[in-house]
Amino acid sequence: MHILLRGRDIPNIKQLDVYEAHGGFDGLRKSLAMTPDQVIDVVKASGLRGRGGAGFPTGVKWSFIPQHEPIKYVTVNADESETGTFKDREIMEENPYQLIEGSLICAYAIQAKAVYIYLRGEFWDIGEQLDACIAALREENLVGENILGSGYDCEVYTHLGAGAYICGEESALLNSLEGYLGQPRVRPPFPAQKGGGLYKEATVVNNVETLANVPFIMTEGAPAFKAIGTEQSAGNKIYCVSGHVKRPGNYELPMGTTFRELLYEQAGGPLHDDRPFKAMLPSGGSGPIVPLTDEVLDTRMSYEDCAGIGTIIGSASIIIMDETVDMTWVASKVTKFFKHESCGKCTPCREGTYWLDKVIDRILDGRGTADDVKRIADVAENMAGTTLCALGDFAANPIIHTIRHFPDDFAQHVQA
Amino acid sequence: MSDTVTINIDGQNYEVAAGANLVDAAKWHAGNDIPVFCYHPKMDPVGMCRMCLVELGTPGRDRATGELLRNDDGSLQIRYFPKLQTACTTTVSDGMHIKTNTQQVIDARNDVLEFLLSSHPLDCPICDKGGECPLQNLTMRHGPQASRMYFEDKQLLEKHYPLGDLIFLDRERCIQCARCVRFQDEVVGDDVLAFHERGRRLQIITHSDPGFDTYFSGNTTDICPVGALTTADFRFGARPWELNEVPSISPWDAAGENISLSMRLDRDFGGKAMIKRVMPRQNEWVNEIWITDKARFGHHFTRAEDRLQQPQMRTGGTLRNSNWEAAIAAMAATLQGADGDVAAIAGSGMSNEDLWALRQLLEGVGAGRLGAWPPTHDAAPHLEQVGVGAGTNLSELGRGDAILVIACDLEEEVPIWRLRLKQAQDRGAYLVVANARDTRLEDFAVQGARNDKVVEGDAIRYAPGEAVSVMRDLQKAHPQIAERLSRAENLVIVAGAEGLSLAGSEALAAAAANFLIESGHTGSANNGLLSPLPGANGLGLHYLGFTPQTTLNIMQEPPRVLIVAQAELLDDDPAAQQWLSQVETIIYAGLFDDGISQRADFILPLQSFAERDGSFVNGERRVQRFYTAQGPMGQALPAWKLFGGISQNAGIANLKPSAAAVMLELSGSVAAFQGASYRALSRTERQFPDVGGRDLYYGGTAYTNHGGIGLQIPTAADRGADVQRRDMADVAELRAGEGELLIMPITRLYNRQRSFRPSLLVEQRILNPYALIHPDDAAAAGTIDGDLIEIVAGESKVRVRASVSSEIAAGGVALPRHLTDAAVPLSASVGTVSRVTDAVAVR
Ligand SMILES: Cc1cc2nc3c(=O)[nH]c(=O)nc-3n(C[C@H](O)[C@H](O)[C@H](O)COP(=O)(O)O)c2cc1C
Ligand code: SF4
Ligand code: SF4
Ligand code: FES
Repeated sequence: MHILLRGRDIPNIKQLDVYEAHGGFDGLRKSLAMTPDQVIDVVKASGLRGRGGAGFPTGVKWSFIPQHEPIKYVTVNADESETGTFKDREIMEENPYQLIEGSLICAYAIQAKAVYIYLRGEFWDIGEQLDACIAALREENLVGENILGSGYDCEVYTHLGAGAYICGEESALLNSLEGYLGQPRVRPPFPAQKGGGLYKEATVVNNVETLANVPFIMTEGAPAFKAIGTEQSAGNKIYCVSGHVKRPGNYELPMGTTFRELLYEQAGGPLHDDRPFKAMLPSGGSGPIVPLTDEVLDTRMSYEDCAGIGTIIGSASIIIMDETVDMTWVASKVTKFFKHESCGKCTPCREGTYWLDKVIDRILDGRGTADDVKRIADVAENMAGTTLCALGDFAANPIIHTIRHFPDDFAQHVQA
Repeated sequence: MSDTVTINIDGQNYEVAAGANLVDAAKWHAGNDIPVFCYHPKMDPVGMCRMCLVELGTPGRDRATGELLRNDDGSLQIRYFPKLQTACTTTVSDGMHIKTNTQQVIDARNDVLEFLLSSHPLDCPICDKGGECPLQNLTMRHGPQASRMYFEDKQLLEKHYPLGDLIFLDRERCIQCARCVRFQDEVVGDDVLAFHERGRRLQIITHSDPGFDTYFSGNTTDICPVGALTTADFRFGARPWELNEVPSISPWDAAGENISLSMRLDRDFGGKAMIKRVMPRQNEWVNEIWITDKARFGHHFTRAEDRLQQPQMRTGGTLRNSNWEAAIAAMAATLQGADGDVAAIAGSGMSNEDLWALRQLLEGVGAGRLGAWPPTHDAAPHLEQVGVGAGTNLSELGRGDAILVIACDLEEEVPIWRLRLKQAQDRGAYLVVANARDTRLEDFAVQGARNDKVVEGDAIRYAPGEAVSVMRDLQKAHPQIAERLSRAENLVIVAGAEGLSLAGSEALAAAAANFLIESGHTGSANNGLLSPLPGANGLGLHYLGFTPQTTLNIMQEPPRVLIVAQAELLDDDPAAQQWLSQVETIIYAGLFDDGISQRADFILPLQSFAERDGSFVNGERRVQRFYTAQGPMGQALPAWKLFGGISQNAGIANLKPSAAAVMLELSGSVAAFQGASYRALSRTERQFPDVGGRDLYYGGTAYTNHGGIGLQIPTAADRGADVQRRDMADVAELRAGEGELLIMPITRLYNRQRSFRPSLLVEQRILNPYALIHPDDAAAAGTIDGDLIEIVAGESKVRVRASVSSEIAAGGVALPRHLTDAAVPLSASVGTVSRVTDAVAVR
């Protein structure tokens, strides 16, 4: 059953009448009849965790918003820039009203008067579609003043970024939204605190997929959601599979499904039958790479189980590589990405990504030595844990973990 | 809540100010230098460079009860963050523990430095910052011993990128700390720098036209922690370790910026000690650690070729080179033979010691008329009564306080005050700016948000010439503003002279004083009156008895013998030729010849502030001394020595052996200077933040104050005198008649005054002659923007370009002084404007 990718089950659900005919906005109606606190309690009880990568409990995040503050905001993180991630896009293209409904419920729960949907620059066409949706909702009194006669007002705006991965990081996103350079902010104060959010007001920042789950939780109830998935990872998750599989694409499955089920049953196994899987990046470029061993394949895709194999599920952008792939090349590719996307605000990431890239190029060129491999491992270790935002850690991961798991791939390029 | 908290640094407890930044607290109270690059104690933290990482722990609390957790021995359980934390973004809290000497911290410092150096050009041997560079120093203290970066992997970037005329950027050296960007944005409010691009391509750019358009750009070179920003004036000029620092005082305006003159014996100056650069010297009461670009780049006049260098005497109708002995003897005779019909006009560049010697001389020959130049501002008597209270520090103004700035343009007249008042507003003070035209400070005087801070302010635009009645009737015409000013905890009023006659400026100060007295804002620190008196020693003139009214009197009834000291009458006063022609003998002592040599009988070269010892009284009544730095120009003498020499020759008094001795006598004779011996003026104390020396990495290259923080003269109100309001029923305001306009001379910081012209670097920034005129008035005069117009007022007749704009209220014309060769009126005067049809190009 799809909770999120309902566009696949219901033709034209991206039209408002169709969406409404299939229970659309019942979740909002139900929420408006409850107190904001009750809504937050339902979301807390559902066990929903953020789908943007960090997996922070969504209801808890909402409950951090200080109630007495007069101005609060909701910001939808639709920057979707992680390598290999394409789930938010499908939600917004095929089931846009569900995202907006989820955002409005969130806004009501924290009593925000405005929702900003921050879209990556390349999503300009999605932005236009969302604007049309918002206009249609205004006609129906589902956006704007006195929504459905409840006395609650809320506006929804879209905003296009200018093409920077870092603007998916929530505080950089807020800076960019405010018109400043897209660079992360010092925290605390966190976005949910006064002083840390949009225009310095308390702000919830949630991922598209996170919010798209909320209407279901409100209509079907927290227990129904909690019943799906594992103990600590409730609900469905969209897995974006790419790389050397027969059927790449988005798969919406319960959390806790094994990698084996996803990769073999759903995605059809290795692209070439004679070329077995070698490694996997389970969370795009930012999470630790793991060899695709049987142990890994039998691991459940949940926050807790992935920690057990030394990686993260993150945003579940699962990139599969078969045995023909040289991990030194992977390290280089991913490093080039982070070097290009580092905002440059803090020293270890700005300098480290540049330096790593230079030395890996040297290794790939055959000019490197065994010392150079040690050098990049060491440089990456020095970056990890010292940067202003997590991108620095992300950039250290591919080096540290490719070298750890695939030392031979590096050894073949260097003189002893 | 108590004012202090206890924190533990490396096992030792320290009591520190509650709410303090951790880096500041560790440094001030524990002497623990947590290394920083991006953090600067004068700006908000940004956590960018990651140099300040420490182990940080706080007392643990029980989740359920909120009780503090204790170990078995009763001590608090400290929970450390798993990762190192940036000290600069941490505010101290009670029980906080930090570790700064563990292997983890040592490694982190080493690692961050390695990262910074990986892209650094390491061109210290040719870098201006070498020798006083935070990156260099911290690398010595905390850095790696050898490079692991392949040299050919370094990024090559532009090395001489001009950010405007004054500052060069070396893009390879920049470590992207954003101190320069934040200084311009947060401290100055001239948001002209920014980052461009991202990642390793992140670069500093300027987005103003002209580039780096601000009066404070030089300060960024002091706080830049590397040699990325250098001044066009000094770069490649000398190495810091060759320089000898001499404390001095900026000669330009009433702020009395404390500066340090970096001296070197130089072949470009005949092997004599020469100013290689001008640096800020910390005085938190006066200029903090900032100076204006004019103070920094305007020193070239002290060595200008056209400075007077040789005493000259008129004999047989011709001015001829002479020698001091002969000239002094001749002057003594002339003065003694004048039957007491002698007067003096002294400029505000004269030191207190000079003025004292001049006054003694005049008194000795039975004369008493002492005039102050220029006779434009007459607020001094009120400053003496109700000037800002002793102990005033504009940095303490903030929430609950208020500031009114009327009839002046502080950006152009006293830029440091404008910067500090803008910052007071950032801290929450209510800022009101009243003028007949738009000024830079007025841009800030709005209600709204700036840099995430809510700021409060109002602007009052009045008709030209109306300042006095606006001030007097503030309660009636602007009740809400007046109410907020009256209710403020602390109130400072800055009253200028723009659009006013000399008498008008006195009346404005009186009206402002009335307001302060009525609302009870006198006699205590951070309350009272300020006025942008022109020059460095406007108040010294006052305290030593030189007044602008006397000058007017001298102009009306010229004496037989007139001594003109450091006053360029012909440059400033269009009527000077005329009234000077009635003087029999002119004795002129100064730095430059403004044409007076045509008339004068004696031309005497004086030393500039840089060549001698002396003291000035700044606008906040702080007596501050400056020291001998530069080798003398030709035979120039300090004025006190010249006038003391004449006195000695005439048998009036013995010449004192030194400026210090003159000050000793003066401080014993003039009440205001009581206790102001050089020893007292040189007293210093530790100031926050620490700067210079070992602390370059922290506060920057502003110099530690070794020259003295000066001594503030108390006001009458400070001494408990019962200061009285003055009845101001009727004030005579200047009114333009039919077909006339009020011609209001205004001040531009960068102008073609004789003492500024030699600083060629800034020449590009001096505006072409113009006058600001309202569209209605322009239409009435049949002129449009850009036309050449002729402005006639009294003896003044100038041709300038019309700048037509509603930035000025109708009825007045703002005419900058010293942009044209012809003198504009001394003070506001009624005049006419007409379009020049036989247009001849000006400049
Ligand atoms: C470098 C970086 C990039 C990120 N990019 C995204 C992104 O593209 N989309 C997203 O939803 N979250 C992204 N995040 C996570 C957000 O910072 C934030 O945790 C998330 O939007 C919170 O929403 P959630 O609680 O619903 O997951 C990124 C984080 C980092 C450090
Ligand atoms: S870690 Fe990288 S992306 Fe994050 S703030 Fe630092 S430089 Fe910017
Ligand atoms: S130019 Fe200097 S002050 Fe400005 S960012 Fe670069 S290193 Fe920092
Ligand atoms: S990060 Fe703290 S000083 Fe730069």
